[in-house]
Amino acid sequence: MRSFLRNFPIRTLLPTTAALLLGGCEMLEFSPNDHRSPERQQDLTAKNLARLTQSPLPAGDTLRFVFTGDSQRFYNEAEDLVKSVNQQAGIQFLIVAGDISDFGFGREMRWVDDQLRKLKVPYVTVIGNHDSVGNGRKAYEEIFGPLNYSFTYADTKFIMTDTNGREYNFDGKIPNMSWVSSELQDASTRRHVIISHVPPQDEDFDPAVREAYITALRNDPRLAFEMNGHRHDFSIGEPFNDGVTYINSYGFEKRQYVIVTVWGDKQFRLKKVQF
Amino acid sequence: MVQRLLLAALVAAPLATFASPFTPAAPDTVGTTPPASRNQAPTESLPWYRPRHVLAQTGGGLGMVSVGAGYSLKDRLDLDILIGYVPRKYAGSRLSIYSAKLLYSPWTLPLGKTQKWAIKPLMVGGYLSYTHGTLNDEEPNQYYRGYYWFSTDTRVGPLLGSRLSYALPPTAKGRARNLSAYYELGSNDLYILSYVQNMKGLSPADILTLSLGLKLDI
Repeated sequence: MRSFLRNFPIRTLLPTTAALLLGGCEMLEFSPNDHRSPERQQDLTAKNLARLTQSPLPAGDTLRFVFTGDSQRFYNEAEDLVKSVNQQAGIQFLIVAGDISDFGFGREMRWVDDQLRKLKVPYVTVIGNHDSVGNGRKAYEEIFGPLNYSFTYADTKFIMTDTNGREYNFDGKIPNMSWVSSELQDASTRRHVIISHVPPQDEDFDPAVREAYITALRNDPRLAFEMNGHRHDFSIGEPFNDGVTYINSYGFEKRQYVIVTVWGDKQFRLKKVQF
Repeated sequence: MVQRLLLAALVAAPLATFASPFTPAAPDTVGTTPPASRNQAPTESLPWYRPRHVLAQTGGGLGMVSVGAGYSLKDRLDLDILIGYVPRKYAGSRLSIYSAKLLYSPWTLPLGKTQKWAIKPLMVGGYLSYTHGTLNDEEPNQYYRGYYWFSTDTRVGPLLGSRLSYALPPTAKGRARNLSAYYELGSNDLYILSYVQNMKGLSPADILTLSLGLKLDI
């Protein structure tokens, strides 16, 4: 044994070993579905919301946020979007309306975070259908957090829910209406905003749950508007002619986003920004 | 960035060390006539289907642990078949990954005076893998045709690595046997596509995977 060690060209092995120790841990991927992430890229929703809570809206200021969606496989655009958003004054956070990833892989979600963590403001996400492919939901939970959650900011409750019904084979349980209804019934804030990926007028929304969803929204006196991604293009309207406004985001590849300003009970203004 | 450059430099370092003394002098000699003690022709003829080596590795997208067996052609071309395992804790469900790797190693360079150690400084090739056990896995009628253009379970990707071998005592029938340790840098079709379309937003290091393994001739 000693003789091999003496002859062993240790000087050539040492650098390789050092390289593997330095960069190896994150590269030693067990599968593309492997969702292990460094601590700084776990529970990002909770971390971003903690940052948001630390900077409450000053009295007299207006609630203003950036609305975008579908960052999937548009990393060049993500970099440019961050530069543009960082020039905007008076915005408090950014929302990505789902499809963070394209293939439901943890690594893709971390690539998007690598860009969006350079934002000066916190950002929050909601799960999209592409984030649900394969073991994507588990990766989303590990890297971002719960699939259904809500937060309150500037007297407004933001309700984020999974509406990717097709990814559950239209099992009649998505969106989770008992959770959505209980969130909408919360009367502790002045306004509600509900955000999900697949819009209810889309064929990827579970048709068995559509009526319950749009009825619950119609009956919520505090609801300012509903927001979605999935269609990669901006739209605003009342698809069900029931007084509820539905707003769709641009996809990242459209190189545009929307700045949403909200005041009063339900008043809002949208401004499109190109980047 | 500094870390990535350092990483690249460190990985390349052992290759450079060997490239300088051997390659300019007589690359062909080194490549085609390795020392007899390392590469003796088998004295018995083995049936074609009998695996020539067994291997175990971690990473590379082929499992937390993957084990398998393989075949060698002229000590240059290796075909390995592996079964890998990923526990639920790391991927959300228990995965089994079936894969085949094909690697070509043009050079085997002896190290030191004893002829016991040798290195294959370059292994180049690729793999094909199929993953069983993913959670949301395209059930019949879940999507209309072409809804997702990519396969969630089948991956293909390139590999590039090096291998260090130690000559064990030959078998009773005189067949040479090596125990080798290797690393492979790799990627997969979807990561490469992501990079090619986003050379500004992603770096090559973002899409790399690493495997570390051992291979034993039998």
